[in-house]
This record gives sequence, C-alpha cells and structure tokens, in this order.
Amino acid sequence: MIPSLDTYRAIAADNLWITILPEIAIAVLALAVLVLELLLPPGRRYWIPRIAMGGQGLVLAGVGVAFCLAADPLAGRTAFNGMLQFTPLGDAARVFFLVCGILVCFLGSLFLRRRDLPRVEFFHLILVATGAFMLLAQSSHFLMLFLALETVAVALYILVGYQRQSAASLEGGLKLLIPSALSSAILLAGIVLVYGAAGNPLLVETAADAMRFGDVAAFARANPDNPLLLLGMMLVLAGVAFKIGLVPFQIWIPDVYQGAPTPVTALLAVASKGAGVIVLINLLQGPFETFHAALVPALAVVAMVTILFGNLAALGQRKVKRLMGLSGISHAGFLLLGVAAIPAVPWVLGAVVFYLFVYLLGAFAVFAVMIHVGGLNDPEQRIEDYEELGKASPFLAGVLCIGLGSLAGIPPLAGFIAKLLLFIAAFQAELYLLLGIAVVGVVISIYYYFGWIRAAVFREPPAPQAFAPPAAAETVTHPVSVSMRLALVLLAAMTVLLGLYPAVLHWVL
Amino acid sequence: MSDILFYAFAAITVFSAFMVVCSRNPVNAALFMIAAFVGAAALFALLEAFFLAAVQVLVYAGAVIVLFLFIIMLLDVERTRALRPGLVSLAASAAALGLLVVGVLWLFAWEGAGPLVDARGSDAPAALARNFGYELFTRYLLPVQVTGFLLLVAMIGVIHISKRPARDTAAEPKGEEANP
Repeated sequence: MIPSLDTYRAIAADNLWITILPEIAIAVLALAVLVLELLLPPGRRYWIPRIAMGGQGLVLAGVGVAFCLAADPLAGRTAFNGMLQFTPLGDAARVFFLVCGILVCFLGSLFLRRRDLPRVEFFHLILVATGAFMLLAQSSHFLMLFLALETVAVALYILVGYQRQSAASLEGGLKLLIPSALSSAILLAGIVLVYGAAGNPLLVETAADAMRFGDVAAFARANPDNPLLLLGMMLVLAGVAFKIGLVPFQIWIPDVYQGAPTPVTALLAVASKGAGVIVLINLLQGPFETFHAALVPALAVVAMVTILFGNLAALGQRKVKRLMGLSGISHAGFLLLGVAAIPAVPWVLGAVVFYLFVYLLGAFAVFAVMIHVGGLNDPEQRIEDYEELGKASPFLAGVLCIGLGSLAGIPPLAGFIAKLLLFIAAFQAELYLLLGIAVVGVVISIYYYFGWIRAAVFREPPAPQAFAPPAAAETVTHPVSVSMRLALVLLAAMTVLLGLYPAVLHWVL
Repeated sequence: MSDILFYAFAAITVFSAFMVVCSRNPVNAALFMIAAFVGAAALFALLEAFFLAAVQVLVYAGAVIVLFLFIIMLLDVERTRALRPGLVSLAASAAALGLLVVGVLWLFAWEGAGPLVDARGSDAPAALARNFGYELFTRYLLPVQVTGFLLLVAMIGVIHISKRPARDTAAEPKGEEANP
C-alpha cells in the first residue's frame, strides 16, 4: 500500500523553508564564497573574509531584528514534520553561533594572512559549520540531530588538520577524527535502540515517528522501564558527552586543541562545547524528560569529576593552548552543573545561556591575543612567551587580563555573575556537594589563570643580557590592526559591562 | 526457513566485519568488507526492503569498495606491523567485551526487549523505489539537503588536505598578501 499523493502533499506543506531563512542564508553565503574565489582576480581575494564576515553580520542583524519585531512568532512550533522545533533556546543558539562564526572568521583572516595557506576553504568550512550548528541546536528529531552533528564533525576534522604542513595540526586532525567517529558510532547505536524501542507497535503509546523527540518522550512516559530505551538513552548521552568533552570522554581534548590552528581551537572550545550543551538540554527536556530522577544525580557526578579533572590537569600546564583546552573541560563541567539543575530550577536555563555567552566573550578575547602573540610555531606557545607582553603591548595585555579574569570568575567581570547564577541555581536545586566541588574548582582555576596574568603583566622581564636570544626580539612586536583593536575593545567592554550591569540580561532575554 | 537464513547471513556479516578489523593486509580487509556489505544487503532483503538491498549491493559493495581498492593500490600500502598490545589494554579490552556480551545477554535473554512484532505481510516503508523517493523528497527533504552540504564539505576537505603545498605557494603569488 502506497500512501496517496495527497498525503505527501500535506507532508511537503510542512517544509516551511521561510522558518530557516538564517540557515539558508548562511548556506548560500558558503557557496557564494566558493564561487567568488573563482570569479575574483587574485589581487582582490582579500574580499572573501570580509564578505564571509559581513554576510554573517547581516544574518545576525536579521535574526536580531526579527526577534525584536515579532516577539518570537515561532516559539514552540515545529516545522519540517517535526525535524526542527523553534524555541527561545534555539533563537539564543542562532545568535550564539553567528557571533561565534563571525569571530572565528575574523581570527581566521588574521591567522591565515601570516601563513601561506589557502583561504577560501577555511571560510567555506566555517560557514557550513555555523549553519549546521544552528540547525543542530534546533533539531527535534534524531535524524536531523545526527546529520547536523556529522556535518559539523566533518568540517571540524578538516579545520583542525587545516595546516597540513604542520605535523601537530595533522596529528590533531587524526586525533579528533578517530574518537569523534567512535562517538558518532556510539550515538548512532543509541539512536537505533531508541528507535527500535519507541517504534515497537505492540507497546503502549508507540511512536508514529520513533525518532521525533516529542513522540519518543510520550513513549518514554508510558514505558519508563523499557530496557532498550534505557540502553539507547545511555549511549546517546555518552555520544553527546564525548562531543562536549565531559570527563570519562575527555581524552581527545588536549592534543586536538593544541594542534588545531588557533581560530579553530576557539571554534572547538566555544561553539562545539555550546552546541553539545544545547543538544544535551534539548535531549533532557525532550525525549528523556521522564528520566530526570535518575539522570540528575548521574549528571551531577559527571559534573563534579569534570570540574575537578579539568582544573587539576590545567594546574601544571605551561602550554597555553593545552591550558585553554583543559580549563575548557572544567567550564564544560560548570555548564553541566547548570544542566543538572534545570529540572529543579527552571530559570537556570537562562543562566546556562548567559554562561555560554560570557565564555564566548572571554575565550575569544584570550584566543585573539594568542593569535597576536603566537609566532609561526603556534601549537607550542607557552606561558613564558607572554612575559613581556605588558611592556610590549599594554593593550593586548589588558585585554588578556580581562578575558582571563572573566574566565576565572573575578568579581567585576561577567564571568563572576555567570558563575554566581549557576551556583545559586545549584544551591536551590540542593546539589550541595556539587556546589562545594565547583567552588573548589573556581579556586583552583584562579591559580592557573592568574599565573598566566602574572606572566603577562607583573613579572619583571629578565635583565637585558648581552646575548639576548633573537626570538625575544621577534616576539616584542605585536602590531594590532584598527579592526582588531575595535573587536578586542568590544569583547572586553561587553565582558566588563555584563559584569557591572547584568540587568542588561533582562533586556536581552 | 527465514530464521535459518537470518542467522546464516547475520553470521556472515558479523564474521566479515570482524575480519575487516583484524586483517593485516588492507586488500583483504576491503574484500571482507564486500562480504559484510553483501550480508547486510541479504538481511535487508529478508526484511523485504528490496530496494535498499539493491542499493546496498550496487553502491557500497560495488562502487565504494572499488574506490577503496583503488586508493589502497594507489597508495601502495604495505602490510602493517603487528602491534603487540600491552597487558593492561588487552585486559581492559577483554573486560569491556565481556561486559558487552553479558549486557546483551541480560538485555535479550533475561530482561527481554518487549514483545516482538511479526512484521511479515506488512509493508516496509522503503520497499519500493517510488515510495522511497516520495519519502525522501517530502518528509526528509531537509535532511537530504543537509546531507548534500555534508558531502560538499567532505569533498572540499579532501581537496584541501590532499593539495600539494608546493603548488599552493606557486599558484598564490605574494601579491595576495598585500591586504591593506
């Protein structure tokens, strides 16, 4: 029996392309960048990064205007037969990933200019990854989730190995490829089990479309102890935890972060982590809502271990990119703390999003400074390389301090408010042990972040010696272009502003 | 009858998949992969998803494996060295495998995965190519488009990673660096 054509017409009528206009615009931009590479004369190719950034800026403005004007007309509705669901979290995610995309393109244009690397592929990959991240955050169907995740993953493999002359970059690419492919396989196995359980027509509340989040949630409410469903859920969550880098699955992070080109490290640290957390929230509020009672303690334990591991491992680290990776693990732990508190304290969802944005601002400020300080041997940057930054470029040192201070959670800066909100939520959710561990984690993190700040600002440069190493002479010059200065000022100013006046949040959220 | 066939093809698939991982010679691994794909195609056919079975044989067992063999022969991959795993990793793998087996047995032999459906006679959604096409281009149109981008990104990545750096620098004159 074949369904009639009218059935298919009705299905096709739900493909509301207008609702994903921002994603389509990004996709078109990605293709346009490739075509422009062919059309533009070689001397004018410097327009490509500008077009990539400007285009994303326009899309961002469009998303913002639509958000302000229409007061979210799509809230809660689904499109594409349940493939996508539009929620306030999804809107925030769109803005988050667009800002990320613009900043990564910006850092990338600086990074590539210093090296003999082809450019257009980089911007194309970043654009496709940005679009896929946006779809990923809004998907409410396991098929869509998996495809968007894989699109991002394939783009990331290539971006991490982008400097193919550099052994570290290629090694990072390989070390991302294998664990990431393995985690995708685990995730897929979980999805298959969930599909098999929820699609069984002999059980109550069997799902019409066993991969749609809503249908799976209804099935789970009716059959909360179906073993296949439970096993599938565990595998799905393990796959997502792999992408975020939560503790039993964090093994790939340091080498990949170190080997990747710095803009890509920033993308991994901010966008990839954000996407994982948003997917986790979507999963916990969607198909796996029934299992909160069992999942919250499990998540709390993972968050504790993650915070402790990330901070302790970062403690002795002198290579800055590994440091950012390991401290990023602990930030993932803090975010997970918020996620674990969501069932008990619903307002913490906003706090998690706020934390993500604050992490974005702080991390990109630090990564931008890293691009300026790092020479051509970018993966091997060490804290010692920053020793004369305060004298050589007070501006960069200031931005670095604000970024690191915000990441550490120092009071006048936004990072403090973000952490405070999460801690209050953990307290209200009665996750006292987790709260205690998190406070210990913050104290440890202050030590290594301030070690970096001390190296950059307070340490007296060694007395000038007759045989000064030539490398030192090379690193003291840090020319900062006007646009970069503007971007850095904006990042730092936002960090300070959100810290001093967090009521801005009310206006935004 | 169909039960016996299922077990036979399932055994072929699992054994070949195992041999893909274990073969030292990449050509042997690729050939075992063909066997695994054909076994999976037979399983699809047993489920009456004939179109899927045909596609599996044509695309995977045919085209994809031919590409694999081409690449293996072009790269002239040598036999890989025998790796001797350490005692710890051997024990850990054995423990993980044991846990997996116990878990699967627990799941299906004791706990049970719920009632099983007798699906014979009902229509598989992808039994006919026409059905398949309709589903793909109505209900799953957005995923199809996303897949297009996935493949595009993969293709561009392969081109970028495999491009020779020497030609790069020659093709891109320093004039491009004059970014104001």
